[in-house]
Amino acid sequence: MHVPDGLLGLTWPIYIIIAAVAVIYSLKWASENLDERNVPLLAVLAAGIFAIQAMNVPIPWGTSGHMVGAALIAIIFVSPWAAVLVLSIVLILQGFIYGDGGITALGVNIVNMGIIGGFVGFYGYKTLKGIGRIPAIFIAAWAATFLASIACAVELSIAGTFPLAAGVASMGLYHAVIGVIEAVITVVVILGIDRVRPDLLPDWISSRKTEAV
Amino acid sequence: MNTKNRNFLIGGLAIALFIAILAPFLASSNPDGLDSTVESLEVPESEAAFQSPLPDYAIPGMEDNPLGGVVSLVLGTILVLVVALGLAKLLSKKGNTKNE
Repeated sequence: MHVPDGLLGLTWPIYIIIAAVAVIYSLKWASENLDERNVPLLAVLAAGIFAIQAMNVPIPWGTSGHMVGAALIAIIFVSPWAAVLVLSIVLILQGFIYGDGGITALGVNIVNMGIIGGFVGFYGYKTLKGIGRIPAIFIAAWAATFLASIACAVELSIAGTFPLAAGVASMGLYHAVIGVIEAVITVVVILGIDRVRPDLLPDWISSRKTEAV
Repeated sequence: MNTKNRNFLIGGLAIALFIAILAPFLASSNPDGLDSTVESLEVPESEAAFQSPLPDYAIPGMEDNPLGGVVSLVLGTILVLVVALGLAKLLSKKGNTKNE
């Protein structure tokens, strides 16, 4: 759901400002929470997210979609700001080097995929973790992609590009399916890390501890 | 960085590069959810505001060769790793000195 240039009318600077404020918060989070132990994990996941965003999976209706990765980062680093940081790095490089997402749309793309994806993933998992680790991760990751796409449709309708109902229906339909891809990969990556380096995972998703709460 | 973390970094990068190498061959070329919506709602095509050096992950002049995509994605994956590692290290160091 990388928004290209030209779809936001005159509204794009609003999102640049929101994204810039969020990026400052994410840098503050990084300076307070990153240490020698989790820096390699953050860097590897950022590289993996960049690569997997190029792996579009076909879905019905002649469409395709790819993982975003914000929920994964937010859950593993126990903070939505971590997702804002990682997705901002990925989206800035994608925009400037590959033209994937417009430069004027960089703000809206960080808002949708970084901020909304990260916050929905984080608070979704926080709310649902009582139902069990895997279903909670699955639903939180699905909701992160789905709600980011709904936000995208609403933003494009505010800009006058999409009619609201048709835009939300179309984006929602496609991303309800793409969200399943997001959910499956998020669960697989967390289980994979849990197998090779459980010490890198926080208590709330590590299998070392039984789910309390 | 201790050996365990270095091995994790190398292993993780290997998986990311594996995906980057396969993506140009395996990825669907169908429009994504947003592009499909743009098409079905008949929104006029828009122009990019900025000319990126490697548009659509293709090397200019070899747009039809998937190897161009491989090179471009491998470089991008390494670049993201280096930028994330550098930024995170810089910030985590700053944090440590601030606390003392």
